[in-house]
Amino acid sequence: MLKIDHLTKHYKATVAVNDLSFEVKPGVVTGFLGPNGSGKSTTMRIILGLDHATKGRATINGINYADLKAPLREVGALLDAKAVHPGRTARNHLRALAASNQIKASRVEEVLQFAGISSVANKKVGGFSLGMSQRLGIAAALLGDPQVLLFDEPVNGLDPEGIRWIREFFRSLANEGRTVFVSSHLMSEMAVSADQIIVIGRGKFITQGSVDDLTATAKGSVLVRSNDPQRLTTVLEALHGEVEASNDHALTVGGLTSDQIGHAAFDAGVTVLELTPQRASLEEVFMELTADSVEYGGTTLAPSHHE
Amino acid sequence: MSNDVTLMSTTRSEWIKFRSVRATFMGFLFTFVLTIGLGALITIAIRSHWSQSSPADRFTFDAVSTSLAGTYFASFAVGVIGILFITSEYASGSIRTTLAAVPNRVRLSLSKLIVLVISIFIVSEIVCFVTFLMGQAIYSGVVPTASLSDSAVLRSVILAGVYLTLLAVLGFAIGLILRQSGACIVVFTSVLLIIPLIIFFLPQSWQTSIAKYEPSALGRAMMSTAPPSADFGAWTALIVLAIYVIVVLGVGTTMLVRRDA
Repeated sequence: MLKIDHLTKHYKATVAVNDLSFEVKPGVVTGFLGPNGSGKSTTMRIILGLDHATKGRATINGINYADLKAPLREVGALLDAKAVHPGRTARNHLRALAASNQIKASRVEEVLQFAGISSVANKKVGGFSLGMSQRLGIAAALLGDPQVLLFDEPVNGLDPEGIRWIREFFRSLANEGRTVFVSSHLMSEMAVSADQIIVIGRGKFITQGSVDDLTATAKGSVLVRSNDPQRLTTVLEALHGEVEASNDHALTVGGLTSDQIGHAAFDAGVTVLELTPQRASLEEVFMELTADSVEYGGTTLAPSHHE
Repeated sequence: MSNDVTLMSTTRSEWIKFRSVRATFMGFLFTFVLTIGLGALITIAIRSHWSQSSPADRFTFDAVSTSLAGTYFASFAVGVIGILFITSEYASGSIRTTLAAVPNRVRLSLSKLIVLVISIFIVSEIVCFVTFLMGQAIYSGVVPTASLSDSAVLRSVILAGVYLTLLAVLGFAIGLILRQSGACIVVFTSVLLIIPLIIFFLPQSWQTSIAKYEPSALGRAMMSTAPPSADFGAWTALIVLAIYVIVVLGVGTTMLVRRDA
């Protein structure tokens, strides 16, 4: 199990991670979601002992990474697929890693085979596509057959087939009882590949739960189609509903339940043609949760006026 | 447990990394070509001009250090091998993979040091002995030659290889501190070439007291059979240079431990 305990990291004036605490449990795929620059990679680097925490700590089964006797046998990580010496062959890269943790050379062949890169094992890594580099990174993460696996933005640069392969791969790792921790800034990806999601923004913990939990907590809205949208809008706004008109006589209403809307329409003599509660997508939830914590938020460009 | 990360296992890992990149091979090739090639050119030039040389020149002539003159150039090749052994990890980002596999950074630094010292020492000694013997063969019959049976001569040839080894470690240590290949090569080159130039422009009285501490002067002292009185003796020069290297290596390793990767 992976535990982050009041973790704080300052880089000069910036606070990259701010009093972050959470636990990642074995047997499920846990997504680590946040906008770019929210501290996901920093957290991962601290877990691996690459960066030193300013305060707090990250432990693997209660042990600091730096104190693990043979780290590759306990934790496998893929942080940056391109972070391999470009002049070295894939096989030599893996052999050097294996040697450091006393992993048998035969295991190198196994993971090359598994990742589907045996045929290019003697090619220099510099010539690899991003997809091939990702596969090499996965092979490296699996070298020590570890119980805890970390992946930082693993689907970046993968083609659709590769993305499907990696999703199934995460699933199978979790089914084997391993701890699988995957970061992403793509909520749509996390919605399909993760069981549990931890959301952070600006280095702070925002929320944690299953995909269903997260979408359930979000403010829902109700779609109403009626014969008199104008009149209904007036009525619902009087009840403090947030009404937004869309095409086809439809209104999207926030702040009111479908029951309240139905009664109000009946009282006003408006015929309701459709009344559908809208379930927020994970994407909407994510946008809502992290709205205040986007590092480089864009604003809407005002249209220029011409005479 | 026998499967833990040990100094032995990390050193084996670093050895695989060291021999599996072309920079190492090229560095050694340059070491061979510069030392032996320039050694041949210099000794041939001396032989062909020997008849015109003055009695004073003949009196101060050193058959050992002249035949080993190519090592001054080879020192840049071995320095770059040492620099790239660490800076290439920062350039590619593979230092993170390395440190995730070997979180004990002192052990990592030590493993790289062991690989570097053993490989550079073996190659340098071979190169220095070959160059020396070749130089004496070129001199023979015209110019007075030196023999390895003379203990001072043997010491000079061996210390020439030690000098190259120490400079490779110096390059590695600078690499630990600066992390960036280009900056390291500039600093390394400055230490060997620019510092002597600066000293050259200092007042004479300062020169005599400072110049002997400068790394290439220490190398000259280590390789000379009869050091000029301004320089240190060979063994003292070795100790002074070793202290420099150990200090820089200590600073570099401390920085490796303290900084984020």
